[in-house]
Parts: sequence; C-alpha cells; structure tokens
Amino acid sequence: MSALAADIPTATFVEVTEVWVPKDGRLVWSSGNYGALDDFAAASEKQSFAKGEGLPGKAWEEARPVVLKGFDGSYFLRAEAARKAGLTSAVAMPIFAGSDLKAVVVVLCADDAVRTGAIEVWHEEAGVLMLDDGYYGAARHFEWVSQHTHFPRGQGLPGGVWAANAPMLMRDLGSGYRFIRADSAGKAGLTTGLGLPIAVPGGKTFVLTLLSARGTPIAHRFELWKTRSAGPDGAKEAVLTDGICQRQGPLWDDETETTVAAWQGPIGQVLGSGIPLVKFDSAAQTAGYASMVAVPIYRDGAVAHIVAWYY
Amino acid sequence: MQKLVVIGAGMASGRVLENLFETDPQAYEVTLFNAEPRGNYNRIMLSPVLSGEKSFDEIVTHNEGWYAGYKVACRFGEKVVSIDRARKVVVGENGEAPYDKLIIATGSVPFIVPVEGRDLEGVITYRDLDDTNVMIEASATQGAKAVVIGGGLLGLEAAAGLRLRGMEVTVLHLSGHLMDRQLDEAAGYLLKRDLEKRGIAVMTKASTQKILGTERVEGVELADGTVLPADLVVMAVGIRPSAEIAKAAGLAVNRAIVVDAQLRTSDPDIYAVGECTEFNGMLFGLVAPLYDQAKVLAKVLMGEADSFAVKELSTKLKVTGCDLFSAGDFAAGEGREEIVLRDPSHGVYRRLVIENDRLVGAVMYGDTGDANWFFDLIRDGSSVAAMRDTLIFGQSYQGGSPLDPMAAVAALPDDAEICGCNGVCKSKITGTITAKGLTSLDEVRAHTKASSSCGTCTGLVEQLMALTLGASFNPQAVKPMCGCTDLGHADVRRLIVAKELKSIPEVMQELEWKTSCGCAKCRPALNYYLIADWPGEYRDDEQSRFINERVHANIQKDGTYSVVPRMWGGMTSASELRAIADVVDKFNIPSVKCTGGQRIDMLGVKKEDLPAVWADLNAAGMVSGAAYGKALRTVKTCVGTDWCRFGTQDSTGLGMRIEKFMWGSWTPAKVKMAVSGCPRNCAEATCKDVGVICTDAGYEIHFAGAAGLDIKGTEVLTQVRTEEEAIEMIVALVQLYREQGHYLERIYKWLRRVGMESIKAAVVEDAAKRRHYFDRFVKSQETAQRDPWADRATGGVASHEFKPMAEIGFKEAAE
Repeated sequence: MSALAADIPTATFVEVTEVWVPKDGRLVWSSGNYGALDDFAAASEKQSFAKGEGLPGKAWEEARPVVLKGFDGSYFLRAEAARKAGLTSAVAMPIFAGSDLKAVVVVLCADDAVRTGAIEVWHEEAGVLMLDDGYYGAARHFEWVSQHTHFPRGQGLPGGVWAANAPMLMRDLGSGYRFIRADSAGKAGLTTGLGLPIAVPGGKTFVLTLLSARGTPIAHRFELWKTRSAGPDGAKEAVLTDGICQRQGPLWDDETETTVAAWQGPIGQVLGSGIPLVKFDSAAQTAGYASMVAVPIYRDGAVAHIVAWYY
Repeated sequence: MQKLVVIGAGMASGRVLENLFETDPQAYEVTLFNAEPRGNYNRIMLSPVLSGEKSFDEIVTHNEGWYAGYKVACRFGEKVVSIDRARKVVVGENGEAPYDKLIIATGSVPFIVPVEGRDLEGVITYRDLDDTNVMIEASATQGAKAVVIGGGLLGLEAAAGLRLRGMEVTVLHLSGHLMDRQLDEAAGYLLKRDLEKRGIAVMTKASTQKILGTERVEGVELADGTVLPADLVVMAVGIRPSAEIAKAAGLAVNRAIVVDAQLRTSDPDIYAVGECTEFNGMLFGLVAPLYDQAKVLAKVLMGEADSFAVKELSTKLKVTGCDLFSAGDFAAGEGREEIVLRDPSHGVYRRLVIENDRLVGAVMYGDTGDANWFFDLIRDGSSVAAMRDTLIFGQSYQGGSPLDPMAAVAALPDDAEICGCNGVCKSKITGTITAKGLTSLDEVRAHTKASSSCGTCTGLVEQLMALTLGASFNPQAVKPMCGCTDLGHADVRRLIVAKELKSIPEVMQELEWKTSCGCAKCRPALNYYLIADWPGEYRDDEQSRFINERVHANIQKDGTYSVVPRMWGGMTSASELRAIADVVDKFNIPSVKCTGGQRIDMLGVKKEDLPAVWADLNAAGMVSGAAYGKALRTVKTCVGTDWCRFGTQDSTGLGMRIEKFMWGSWTPAKVKMAVSGCPRNCAEATCKDVGVICTDAGYEIHFAGAAGLDIKGTEVLTQVRTEEEAIEMIVALVQLYREQGHYLERIYKWLRRVGMESIKAAVVEDAAKRRHYFDRFVKSQETAQRDPWADRATGGVASHEFKPMAEIGFKEAAE
C-alpha cells in the first residue's frame, strides 16, 4: 500500500468541519477543524446560535439537513469571515436522539475549478428519494444529473441507505452505479460514496451522501462502526464493520473483529458521549491523517452506528 | 523438498497454504491448479462486490506477489483431467505435475434446478467472480428484471445486490419461509418484510415449473401458472460437492470425498479439504469449519498431530441493515423450552431454546447485539439456570443480582411513549392513575386514551398500573387464547383487522406472541381469523389445520377415514347413489351409513385411496360435504310443498338454495342448518345453528340452537316474507358470526356472549348493514367456494398428505 500512500493528494473537498452542541437553549461550539483558516476559527469558536439562527440554528429548527450555497445576503451569520476565508458553501447535519438535538455538524467548502466531490441531501417524496439539495464543487454535470434522478427504496447508495436504515460505504461509484448516475459519476472521478441515514423527529426520511473524488477527496479513510452490548450493566462497544483507507487498504476483516469500548479513543468517545467529534493534530487518534470526523447515527434514540472519515 | 500439488485455489486450500508457509515456507514445493483463471479470493465476500460495497481488489486474498514470494507454481485457468495415483502425478490440461502429497480442494458446484430452459442465456448460478460480473453487467440495462431462485443466504445476498444495482428483483423460495434452514418462521417473516421494504418481491411456496425464452431467458413460469418476466435468472438453491476427480481416481467418495479427522482420503498421500469433503457423514458449506480443516491439514502435512472436529456454527446474512443471527439447534422438541421476546415497534425478534438448563439454540432478528454472547453460551454449554428470567434481554441485564423483568418498565424515562396510537407517555399514565385514583384498565383508557386504540400497549399499561398501584392493582381477567399470548380471542380478532395483519407470522410478531410458532390452540384459530378477515389475500395454511381439515375427511379410530359427499338439501338421485355404490365396491369400503344430516357416510377408506375416491365422486358431480370442517355442514330439509300435505313453502328448494349459496365457507365452528316446511318441524330446524320454519306468511328465521353436548332450542331472529329475504338474512347472520365468533365457538355460545340486541341491530334492524355483511360473504365465497376434493383428486394439491411415508422423496442437495 506504499504506492497509495505516496499518491495521497493534499487538497481536500471540505475546508472546515465543526460541531455545535446545545447548551442553555443555544448551540455552542464543541469541536472543529479549520485547517489554516485561523480567523474563521476564531470567529466561530466564540459564536453561538439560537434555534432558527444561522445555519446550525436553522438545521435545528427545521429538524433536517440544510445545504447553503452562497453566504452573502443569507441567514449565515459568519458570512464576512467566511468570505475572507474563501468559503462559499456549507452543509449542516443535525444529530437527533429521538426528539432531542444532540449536535449539529457543519461542513464548509470552498469553490474553485478543480475541487470535485459531492455532499448531497436526499429526502423522501411520493415514495422515492429526491434530491433536496447538494454541493458538488466543479462537478456541474453530475450535479445536473443528480437533480434529475430519483431513487426507489433499495436502489443505489441513497436508496440502499434508506432501505437499510444504516450507513453504507460504496466503492467504484463510476462503475458501480451503472445506469444510475454512473457515467456522470465516472467522468467526475467519483470513487467512494458514504451514505448516512439522518434521524429526525417526526419520522421524515433524509439521507446524506458524501461522494469522494480521487483528486480532491472528501476523505482518505472511511470507517463504519456498529454498536452492541459489551457486558453486564449496559456496557457498550463498537465493532468496525466496514472501512477503506488509502494507506492501509481495506479495513474490514470478516474473521477478526476490531472493537473499541465506550470512551476508548475518538470512536469510543462518540460512543460514550453520543456527540460528534472533530479531531486533528493528533496522529495517533487520526490514523496518521491530519484530521478526522466521527458522527453518531441514532436509531430509536440510541447510538446504533458511528461513521468516521479521515482527511 | 517434497512436492505438494493442490487442486483448487479456493479459500480452504488457500488457508492450508497460509498455515503451511507460516510454519515452514521451505517444507514443500507447491504446484497449485485452479480452473478459474485467478488465484484465491474471499469468495464469501462476492455479495458485497455485487452490491458495490466492496471492490474485487479488496477481497483478493492472495495476489501474484504472494504466490511468487512462496514460489508457488500457479497453473490458473487449467483444469485437472485426472489423478494417476499409481505414478503419483496430477494430469492437467497442459501437462502433468508429480506429487508426494496431494490436496484435493475442488470445492462444490451449484445445484441446477432441473427445469426446462435452464440452459438459456441469462440463466446463471452464483458461485464465482464471473457470475458476479454477469450480474453486474445485466444490471446495466435500465428497468431490467431479475428472478432469483432460492431464498437461502446466497440467493438473498444476490437479490439485495441486484436491487442495489437498480434491478427489479423477485425471489422465489420453495419453502414456506426464507432461509428455512437457518431461521424459524417468525424470523423468516421479518426478513421477508425487510426485503420487501427494499423493493424486492418475495414469493414463498413458489415452485419453478420452467424457464421461458427461445435463446435468451424471457421469464419464469411457476407451478401455479404465474409467469414472471425476467432478463436474468439466478439459481441459488444450494451446492453439491465436486468430487468427480476423486471418484475417477478411485478414492472413497460417498456424497463427497470421505476424509478422516486428519483430512486424509482413502489414499494416505492424498488429502481433501473444504466443501468437497465428507467427514463423519457431514458435508460443509460455511467457511468456519473449512478454516478449521485447513489448520488441521497444515499441521498434519508438517507431521504434527491434530484432529478436525465439527463445532457449532452460526449464520449471518451479508445484507446491510438486515440484522439476523442463528446458531445451534433451535428446533422445538420434547424436554425443550423456548423463551421468545418480540418488539413489534422495532422489528425485533429473539428466540432462545433451552434444554437441561443449557442454551442449545438461538434465533435473532433486528437486534443481534448479543449474538456473540449467546453463541458463546451455546458453545460453552454452561448452565443458564441462574439467569433464566433475564437471559432473553441479553448480556447487559446479567448484573450482579437477578433483575426483575418489571425493572425494564420501571426504568423507562417519564417521557417514554407508551401508547404510540394516541401519543401518551409514561408520566401521563402514572400521573393520571395517582391524581384520579384510577384502578382499572378501562378507567386508564377513559382518562388517558392509552391502550384505547390498537391495544398493543395494553401489557405495558398494565405493568405501569402494577408499578403505580402495587398490590392494589387487580388486572382484568381476560382469558388468553392460549399460553402463547396474553390476548384473548376478541382482542386478536380486533387487532388483525385494525393493524391489517395478513399472515400468521405477522400476527405473532406484531402482537408479541410469547412462543416462536404458536401452538395447536392458536394456530388453527389464527388461520381461521385470517381466512375470514382477508378473503382472497390470505393463503390458507394447511399446516395450521387439524388432520381432518388437512385431508378433508374424518379420521376414524382405526386410522382410516370417512367420506361424506354433499347432498344438496338432503336430496339425491339414482346416479349419485349408483356412483357411491361403485366407489364402495371399487375401494372395498367396509361400511356405508346414513347420517343425521341426510347424507351418506362411507366409513373405512384408506388414506392413500382418498384422492381416487374423490375423483370418482367428482366424476358423478358430487363435491365434499365438509363433514370434517369448521364450516357449513348440512342443510337438512323436509319435503315441503313438493310432497307434503301440510307443507306451506318449498322447504327442500330453499334448503338447496341456501346450501348451494353457502357451501365452502369456513366458520368459527361447524354450522348445521335445517329448513322445515311447516311448524310441525320435521327437519328439526329448532335445534340447529340456523333453522327456518316455513309458515303461510313466509319464513321464520331461527338460530343458536344446539343438540349435542348442550341441548338448546333456537331463538327467533326475525320473520321475512320471501325466499330472497330469508337467504339475505341467513347469509348476513352467518357472516356476522364469521367476523365475530371465536374459533370453536358455536353460534349459540356466540349469541350468549354478544347478546341478541347487537345481532339484531346489525342483521335485522339495519338493512344497509345487513347488505354489507351479505356482500362481504359473497366476496369471501369468490375464493372459498372451491371443492377441496377436486383440487386434491386431480389438481395435485397437497399430494404429500396422501403418500405412504416410505415413498417420500429425498433431494440430495447441500447448501
């Protein structure tokens, strides 16, 4: 896998990832990775949002993932700082445990002619999944194709996630989807797709997908973990069910299980706290990459899965 | 260096080589034949490759570099022609390879369903990467349809993968539920439901008759005549060990290559490993024992002592989101008890089978978090007596002291929703109980609305009442249907309709049955309720019927049967009597008797003769009299105005009309009727379930009589003027009884339970309601009015019931 390691590109699709958690009726900063965007980091860490306020507050109030393209004149409170940092788009993903908001994860991206990838939000309408909105960077054709595509239950990455009510990690998007957006995905260089079911109060169906391209990947490493009981008195652990890494290759092992206990490492921390986490500048905890994001996926009010991506 | 030749580069032989090289890479000079043009890959992960959740590169176990590193002479894409044991050489298509030791690892071949059309293009099995690529290619056509034959592990993984790729997929499975080797009926139902939610159509009890098409596959025809269009047919009905090479070489081969505990064949220099082996009469299809075999064989090849032993196996399905697990022996049996946990709102089912205080089997669906723990308990064989009460809840509940099962309810947070229908939370219920001083379930229902709609939360509400009121809580005495449920017949009937439950496994899951598959009390009842409530939709489950209804004849004390053909209104003819006489002679039937219901009973018919007897009776125009069924039996009549000086109406004609209109319908208990032409009542109508007394003014409709264990005269329902009105009234009455009666509850008991007032209100006093019931009966008869004898005499239905045990065929196929 050394050849792969040498081939890891440095430019990534996502510039900023941050986690906001509710405290005293407002969303406050919990963790985040801003790369070199120190000013935007400084502007963010002292920020907080009431319900309905700014992008995180809107995701909270509307209880749904929100895509925002273009900050100027919008409800985005940090528009000036974002403009200075070159950030142009953002996606907010609320994390609910039943009806309780646990956190809002926000990713922010910068536009240019080469960054390719996709962060999409799909919602159920009339029995199929329709594109709510998405950010695609330079993959304009793929964006257009996606806007004119719908997924029945069980079909494609969004339909598969919807049917399974579980995160899924798809490989070879260009060849894998065949007629479903395949040609366009292939031309856009999309390789790996991560799909997440977004649990929201009221039972509406939302699926969020992160589609990563080889040149400007969303991440170099993806992991899917599943939680289970681990002993008496309600102890929990997470078992690695799937994963792929540009350095290490496949992370899954159908014979030997990789597990972490609650509070053990970043995945264990998410399992224990039930709150998403952004880690950086700690190679031991980020599998040697600069940063990692771990997000709990709730089902019936409890953490059922944890997904992590490293970049 | 000794020469080791390996035939087959599959997972088993690959693991042998890994273990061997790990111990001593220099021990053998290895030559590896493989019919596939590639080396070892993780074949069981082909399903995720098909679905797109893995790439093929990820599942390659040994790449070119690995083989080169260990100096393995790879002869991939070359088939082995023979083994010359005398010269100790393997003969390949491209030449020979001498050996000191030989390993046969030829695996297995897919079982092909021997039907017409199996050789058409587009009909494939699912075994290797090439098959996977064919499927991926087939899915590239938009709107393409796939039929997967076989609802086992492999078939379902193929179906899910093809669906994810965008195909319209139908799964055909011969048995009554999916994965019937690994799952019980309850878990099979949940799996089916999950797959259907993915847009995969699942047809159980589906027998493939032929595959349609000229050059390419175009469809699949089933035994019942259904035709399914298909662009791709995947056969996944099991595997057969591939032992031809070994057999041709003169090695001992039974169903597979016979090996001992050291994996040695009948030739001491030849070993076999993997799916091609048979050990102690057992075949192998899952990977875990193959790896155990490989470990042993590697040691044996190094001269170390080791023995292969069969261990408990577990099953998991590689379909993301379908969480199932099964292990051990979960069949019911003498001395075994089962613990069942169902959580319908979350689609969870758990079943543990315990024997002698030890866990021997487990089936889980929806929440398999404790699977490993249960599997360890099965393998350890340790006593579970101390945790018997909380075992089903899993490892988390096995704290220091035994946990009261009520603790789970007590531990629920105040805002936990108890009644999903009405959105009532725990604190609302407990608070209202305390504030209002409520002591009964009805009071809680009235004040909080909890448990007042679908009723599935009734148990929870009662537990909350017990927690809040303590000893002062006295639960309502509802007599449960049986030990499998706390619900009574009335609740079950109501919930079947309210929740639109349309199969027995669905009822059991959604109504939280405490057993996995019910019992002889509840299954026949549920089968009847579903037939009555979902006519045309529900498929009669023969296995949920008692023997008489299953074979459509009454079993006698000597094991023979009695046969009673229908005689409409008690009328017969010379030709019918002649046919009966011929049947009696032809089949040496020892007794013929007139029944109390004006029919003829042939007693002493052998079971295997039944279809032929029925065929002859059918040929004479007679159908089953249902003398064995919870159904309309007889309509006894007097001769009426045709012959009788006192007759006021055509009682015979009316009786025949009623019987011809209503035969075939299933009822909660048997229904006997009679029509008397005048109040002298020669047909004894006033002790029947339904009776008609004809008068000069019209027809007096009676019902709820009894003349068996109980003796009771009928009650008068109403009087009508015309035959049409009489028929409508009787049909509506019977339909109301069909919809309200508890299984095995005769009409007179039903009346006692529901009261005359409610019956009259529905049938007599409200013409629209009466018509409604009448129409529902007519609708039900569209599918019910079929002669079961004809279906079995000539239609081949349930032919297994009438075969002597020794003739039951055995299909040799392993999965």
